[in-house]
Amino acid sequence: MELSEFLLQMVSGLQRGSIFVLIALGLTMIFGTLGVVNFAHGALYMVGAYLGYVIIQEAGHWAAFIGVPILLFVLGIALERGLIRYFYKRPVTDQILVTFGLALVIQELMRWIFGGTNLPYQLPTWAAVPMDIGIGFFPPWRLLIIGVTAAVVLALFLMFRYTRFGLVVRAGMRDPEMLKLLGVNVTQRFALVFGIGALLAGIAGVMGASTTGLVPEVGMDVLVPSFLVVVIGGMGSIPGAVLAGLLLGIAQSFTIMLYPPLTDVILYVVAAVVLLVRPRGLLGLKGVAE
Amino acid sequence: MINPLRSESVQREAAVMAGVVAVFAALPFALPLIGGYGELAVQMTAWAIFALGFDLLVGFTGFLSFGHAAFWGVAMYASCLSLIHLTPNVIPALIIGVVAGTLVGMLIGYLTLRRYGIYFAILTLAFSQMFYFIALSPLQGITGGDNGLTGIPNPLFFGTQLGDWHQIYPMMAVIAVGAVYVARRVARSPYGLILRAIRSNETRLQYTGVNVRGYRFVAFLLSGAFASLAGTMLAMYETYVPVQSLFWATSGEVVMMSVIGGLGTLFGPMIGAGVVLYLENVLSASIEQWLLILGAIFMAFVIFLPGGIVEGVARLRRLVLSRTGGDTNA
Repeated sequence: MELSEFLLQMVSGLQRGSIFVLIALGLTMIFGTLGVVNFAHGALYMVGAYLGYVIIQEAGHWAAFIGVPILLFVLGIALERGLIRYFYKRPVTDQILVTFGLALVIQELMRWIFGGTNLPYQLPTWAAVPMDIGIGFFPPWRLLIIGVTAAVVLALFLMFRYTRFGLVVRAGMRDPEMLKLLGVNVTQRFALVFGIGALLAGIAGVMGASTTGLVPEVGMDVLVPSFLVVVIGGMGSIPGAVLAGLLLGIAQSFTIMLYPPLTDVILYVVAAVVLLVRPRGLLGLKGVAE
Repeated sequence: MINPLRSESVQREAAVMAGVVAVFAALPFALPLIGGYGELAVQMTAWAIFALGFDLLVGFTGFLSFGHAAFWGVAMYASCLSLIHLTPNVIPALIIGVVAGTLVGMLIGYLTLRRYGIYFAILTLAFSQMFYFIALSPLQGITGGDNGLTGIPNPLFFGTQLGDWHQIYPMMAVIAVGAVYVARRVARSPYGLILRAIRSNETRLQYTGVNVRGYRFVAFLLSGAFASLAGTMLAMYETYVPVQSLFWATSGEVVMMSVIGGLGTLFGPMIGAGVVLYLENVLSASIEQWLLILGAIFMAFVIFLPGGIVEGVARLRRLVLSRTGGDTNA
């Protein structure tokens, strides 16, 4: 294999991984703070993709890039306030069941509205045509996905590291009981976390729809690998999610080149190996959600 | 209500089993009277056994699996491949299907059972999807990939061809009655008691020296064996294995049936399977958005009535009894 070809696969893998990272970050933040595993998180990605599709047609690309994450943030807060919060005190199985039901309902609603066939997702002309990036030709759109993901990760890092809200969230992920005892109203603050998680899924949806397809099932299609990312990275670990997302993306990208039939299987092989060698995940903290 | 743990007399148990026999015997005749058709009984029975096995794990240990499609689907493929390539005899196919499904259970169980509730749900979902993707692409040559497995001969039972539902249903009904009996025996055995203890307080049970992981593993395998048996029979009847049998939606369907019926009650999930399939067949002819309705019904149950239909009936009964001044504890 030539070096340029190798590098091109790396970039392609980073792009695939970026989508996983964006979804997994939301999942892991919501899990870490609220203790809820959101089976409807993939559905939020899918809603973001369909909203992007509609807004692009009605008002253009920039409106979609800015509007979709905001709309998803609002949707996330609404879901948390209207449904999820009633489940904090219910058994974990009920939380999983209700978010799974929600995922199915959203999926079928979208199928009702948009039909079950893959819709063409329009990209801006400047972004669709592959350009020479020194190691080969690559679509600028996909580079943009990597760039946006990097920016999002940086922004989250800054928020967690330097704001009071970030401090509370980090503390909540570490030890929610203690935080409650210290008098912090955990659940109320964490409604915001759900909103931010949904916002990230919205960014992933509006950016990623052209790479993952735009069908109602795409929500579950991206959710399952993102779950693996969360588990491999270490449940509740944000750097872990980033690392594992990129790892899985790159693994998948090289599999496409070497032996395409295993493209979708490789994720599970990597996951099985990681779980056997390191059951708490790559960067999982000892004692957290074990 | 029917409590599988209540110590019952032999007579009472015999009466319950007689009721089960009566239901399975009447099912193909009753369905056409309420807008269904006799053939639906085959579907219902297979899914009822599937849901019953699901309940043995989830309802009793509290471990929510989103990967039961793996057992069901792999058993379908294994049994039908046996019909095609080995012998059209139904007995080896049944055994091969159940063994294959149970082996899958050992693999998934080994990878997932070390982790607790949330991990378990996620990982069973993920690893069952792995089987879906394996059947879809790398093993396309054997499984038929996206087209599903076709060209399956009708199974033979000692020289009799089981082609029509009239012929295969009696066998299924007998197996279903046997499955109910086994499940009830397991639930009321000391083993079943330990499964319930796992659900209510695992840590305390561990301190008493019980090998919790071992018990859970066996529960997982037993549950998988029920799912395999059910899948095997349905596939041999359909003489077709769709690759969707391994898809997460299949796991989701058995989850929804079981919750709607009532987890932890054994009969509840079976009733749920029957109700969901009945509604699906009656409604999907006239309403396109059947899955949307099912999802909404499911969510309504999770939110308002997590105990399912069984709990609903019990509440209704209490209500009626208290109105009429009867004994509310009955």
